[in-house]
Amino acid sequence: MTEATHHAGEHHSNTVRLLGREITVEGGVYTVVFGALAVLTVIEVLSAEFLKGAIHDSPESAAALQAIKAVLLLGIAIIKSSLVIWFYMHLRSEKPLIAIVILLPLLIAGLSIMYLLAIPPSGYGI
Amino acid sequence: MAELTANQLPAVAHDDHGHMSEEEHNNNMKLGVWLYLASEIVIFSIMIVGYIILRINEEDVVAQAHEQLGVGLVTANTFVLLASSFFMVMGLRAMQAGNRPGMLRWIGLTALGGIVFLCGQYIEYSELAHLGIVLGFDTASEWSTFGMRFYAPTFFHGAHVFVGVIWALEVMRRGAKGRYDHNPIGIEMFGLYWHFVDVVWIMLFTLIYLV
Repeated sequence: MTEATHHAGEHHSNTVRLLGREITVEGGVYTVVFGALAVLTVIEVLSAEFLKGAIHDSPESAAALQAIKAVLLLGIAIIKSSLVIWFYMHLRSEKPLIAIVILLPLLIAGLSIMYLLAIPPSGYGI
Repeated sequence: MAELTANQLPAVAHDDHGHMSEEEHNNNMKLGVWLYLASEIVIFSIMIVGYIILRINEEDVVAQAHEQLGVGLVTANTFVLLASSFFMVMGLRAMQAGNRPGMLRWIGLTALGGIVFLCGQYIEYSELAHLGIVLGFDTASEWSTFGMRFYAPTFFHGAHVFVGVIWALEVMRRGAKGRYDHNPIGIEMFGLYWHFVDVVWIMLFTLIYLV
């Protein structure tokens, strides 16, 4: 049996356990994940528009609201990305080596971004 | 000890000629795609950090740009790309169940999703160009810096979608000939690429249009 067909067995069920309840839907876990992605996108856009209005209405707390907006929206984006990688890209059934292959560049990129962001806008004046 | 027939050998074993088993071959192919995607992460990260630095240092310009950009069209485009990722994984699922016509239908929808996304991006770029947000070679323009930081990641992503559409059509051509009937690894490899393109868009959509 190939690995692909081995994976097929675990992903072919139309019954999914969600919040302690078993539900049956065509496409199984893939359909549930798509529903979650759609709902999260709607929440993300509505939150962004609401917070944009709030920032406009109260400029004195704009910095705090902008920080909340960034953390909230990036948090939702990371959850959405993780759902795609975990379920659609089947990372949950891959060997740990694959997780290392994808996490290592993410870690390097993350550290590089933090380093670049730490440089002041005017540079170091050298 | 009795000799083992080919069917009795463990799946991971090499044959007498040192050839890989199908499972080993599939794992190597997938590892290759994951390594390629890892390199793509670094390239996209550079573009994203360029935008973040502009976002922090030029808040007023980005705020004005957000007013011009709007989120209606790009949100619809985001749904199209998310749906195409769902179609993709359903195509793989169909092939793994031995349903070739189903696979062709789902992968066809995936390609269609990519084409609709590119059309949406073309409309958006046309509208932005009309508003004066251009690529940024004109340094006198107030949008020069924003244009470059905006178009670089979104156009590079669009180019990936274009390549994905071509790949999807090739998967359909091969699939129609029965190439994946016994081993759908080719579809799985395309799926990894397509879902990665979706993940990149999820981050770009949030960072560029919403935050």
